[in-house]
Amino acid sequence: VTRAELEALAERALGHCEGEAQVTVHHERSLATRYARSAPTQATELDALTVRVTAVCDGHPAHASTTRPHDDDLRAAAHRARAAAEAAARAGPGVLPGLPGPVASSPPAGHGWDPETARLDPGRAARVLGTVLDAAATADARAAGVWTAGAVRIAIASSTGLRAYDEVTDAFLKVLLEGPRGRSGYAAAAAVAAAGIDPAATAAQAASKLTDAEPVELPPGEYPVVLEADAVGELLRQLAAHAFNGLAHVEGRGALAGRLGTRVAALGVDLSDVPAHPATLPRAIDAEGVPKQSVALLRDGVAEGVVHDTRSAAVAGDEARSTGHAIEPGGSPDGPGPTNLVLGGGEVPGVAALAAPVERGLLVTRLWYVNTVDPKRTLLTGMTRDGTFLIEDGRVTRPLRDVRFTDEVLRILAATGGLGSTPVLTSEGELYGERFAYGAVCPPLRAEGFRVTGSAPR
Amino acid sequence: MLDVLSEAMAALAGSGVHAEARHVVSRTRWVRVHDGRVAAAGDDATEGVGVRARAAGGWAYAASAQSTRAGVEDAARRAVALARALPARRRDPGLLPVPPARGHWAGPCERDPFAVSIDEVSELLLAADAGMHDEARVTATDGMFLAVGTSSAFASTEGAACTQEHMRTAAGIAATALGDGELQIRSYPCALPGGSGAGGWELVTGLDLAAHAGRVAAEASELCLAPPCPDGLATLVLGSDQIALQVHESIGHALELDRMQGDEAGYAGTSWVTPDRVGTLRYGSEQLNVTADATVPGGLGTFGWDDEGVAARRIALIRDGMLRGVLSGRDSAAEAGLAEPGGCVRAEGWARQPILRMTNVSIEPGEAGTLADLLADTGEGIFLDTNRSWSIDDRRLAFRFSTEVAREIRGGELGRLYRNPAYSGRTPEFWASLDAVCGPSEWRLRGTLNCGKGEPGQMMHVSHGSAPARFRGVRVGSA
Repeated sequence: VTRAELEALAERALGHCEGEAQVTVHHERSLATRYARSAPTQATELDALTVRVTAVCDGHPAHASTTRPHDDDLRAAAHRARAAAEAAARAGPGVLPGLPGPVASSPPAGHGWDPETARLDPGRAARVLGTVLDAAATADARAAGVWTAGAVRIAIASSTGLRAYDEVTDAFLKVLLEGPRGRSGYAAAAAVAAAGIDPAATAAQAASKLTDAEPVELPPGEYPVVLEADAVGELLRQLAAHAFNGLAHVEGRGALAGRLGTRVAALGVDLSDVPAHPATLPRAIDAEGVPKQSVALLRDGVAEGVVHDTRSAAVAGDEARSTGHAIEPGGSPDGPGPTNLVLGGGEVPGVAALAAPVERGLLVTRLWYVNTVDPKRTLLTGMTRDGTFLIEDGRVTRPLRDVRFTDEVLRILAATGGLGSTPVLTSEGELYGERFAYGAVCPPLRAEGFRVTGSAPR
Repeated sequence: MLDVLSEAMAALAGSGVHAEARHVVSRTRWVRVHDGRVAAAGDDATEGVGVRARAAGGWAYAASAQSTRAGVEDAARRAVALARALPARRRDPGLLPVPPARGHWAGPCERDPFAVSIDEVSELLLAADAGMHDEARVTATDGMFLAVGTSSAFASTEGAACTQEHMRTAAGIAATALGDGELQIRSYPCALPGGSGAGGWELVTGLDLAAHAGRVAAEASELCLAPPCPDGLATLVLGSDQIALQVHESIGHALELDRMQGDEAGYAGTSWVTPDRVGTLRYGSEQLNVTADATVPGGLGTFGWDDEGVAARRIALIRDGMLRGVLSGRDSAAEAGLAEPGGCVRAEGWARQPILRMTNVSIEPGEAGTLADLLADTGEGIFLDTNRSWSIDDRRLAFRFSTEVAREIRGGELGRLYRNPAYSGRTPEFWASLDAVCGPSEWRLRGTLNCGKGEPGQMMHVSHGSAPARFRGVRVGSA
């Protein structure tokens, strides 16, 4: 399927729509190969085409989609979307001022596209798995994880005259090694191009976490912590949902409601959403076809801004405009969200240097099963996993049993005393629903007072 | 499409490859209301085919939106090629034999939710929404309706050829209150998308959302000013919604055989239970009886056959506190040496491959009577209900869960409200502290629509039968 064919399909579907409407054509091809116990377990190859129609009536967007690109099916989808929007409007007016109009100059598509990755070569998948499994055998470890690559193309056509197109690729490798004594090590890598991931280096990084030493238990309390980049990335992804969602913010539910312009993090903490940043998984447009803008969220520790889609901007008023962060056409009722977070690096050269000032604390490789306890306070709970170590007198000395933490992301950022100098792209590689790969670019950091509330049993 | 699937599988049958083909047509309709307005509505349709092939102990799956003979044949070719392209490093225990699935199965649906107009849905949700606006501290109100109708066909190289129809429906309301620096959410019957089950519009009307709206809003408001849940060891009574979550996280997932064998180590995690402990492990007190039942009417995990063609069945997982069974598929059961597979392999639609999932994992009713009886018998303690947050380690052993609401139990009755309640524990010790489960009159199937597992990720619908239950000496506190 070519770009021209996708754009023609969007036009054809739009031709079946009455009134104000947007058509989004989403084409995904992807390959995922899972492995466990040092052997392949499940591989999935997907070729999926979805046409989504968003109709707008009296401020109400309503949606209908089909995976069948025939005229009868497109016409039916257009009818269902229109019928739903009209029914919603009969219950009273909505808040959407209308779909976005055409933009003066569209951003170039394909900024995040790698043609070789888009071929989804099963041979590459086999080679990646072979490299990882060989490395695991060398480390006397059992390997589990996933290698996945995807190519997604999106064509948007709107009755307002907006036309937009973007194409992105992504690749992700996760390596989890379990040593003979049950300790595990983790590393992951994400990139636009499959060739940008070094499976041997990723496996070696996971192997570096393995140890034969007996783990010790850290009692509940508050400790200095060094969070490696993957752990920081998880916290930032959670923070994004609770602090920078423009709709939650304007409704008073957001963590930064009433706090913009005030200090919420330590000096030197600069967090932005930078969709064109070369180290992220770049995207040109959002779900409404609006060019994605860079937005400063925290500047030198001061809360600076939130992101908007068309709906949240309308609710916010005060000349707020979409920043190109729509998750759904017409704006999601859950609000917009940043998907290309970049936390600026500091001056500390690496994890060892971050640990150097710590008298007694912990080093965390990765967080696990993190869930929100109180969104307004950015209070989360979760476990550490696959590489938790004790820091004593500035050195990583012994493995720790994994700990439960229950802490606030903004408090951790406010207590941050050092940032690593080399941000990297982190991702959990979670791909539910239509493929939308995303991650956060961030360095490791050191913070005071990390709240440990329990530990894993032996 | 069943004929097309069967012919494609018959063509592969002599090639030495085991394969299964599915065709899935699904329609999803939803309506959301927010602050007295319809906030979103939608009506999605999706259709596609997928073929799963087995080689060298692993599975490969190829899926396509082209629901044609050519689409099925292409998916089969790609699945077989993918299976053969990957490194073969494991001894293959094979698949336990099952009779080929044949016939048609349909779940319950009294009134087709897709025949209910969006106007009628909106009217019902907005009436409930209006009932939540009388509280000054309530700053946001939400309501949701969701219906998913699915038709599927399945054929295999072993001669299976069957079709199934499911209808699943959900609805609920929630009030958000702000006050005293607190944000509190109270929902009914549970957090959105609300109460869910297999069935049609009758499930929505049966919830009587409007009748609960005033109480939901009042409790959200009251929670803002309530004292924090006190810290300490307490006698804990959990409501049935939280029991369902507790069973899901600390029993259901822990007894998935793929996790126990290590095949989910890379994503979902493993389990504190190893396969060799079946029959010897004490999982909890003698009050603990748990089953996995894919035949129970109204369950989201109820079906005729699972997605590898195994007929639905009821499995005893825990009897009188002792581990008696596990959740399994044909491959994992073969490796574990089980006599027959558990019939627990399912997929989220055509674009995902079948993997081991829960069916309806339920705690059986006990002898503690009604909730009022249990509270009266308890005397002093604390009551928690309606899940708010959940987190558990990758072996399903150390957990920390929080709920929307807690109430003091004093003199055998519910007393004052506490905010931000949480409790924590370790799975075997926690279930060992179970000393009473309410009886059949309190037992309900409770659905969840967001059980995530697999790479690429799959959301599965499952139900849990549950009743309020009591635990002694549990660590509780305030989030």
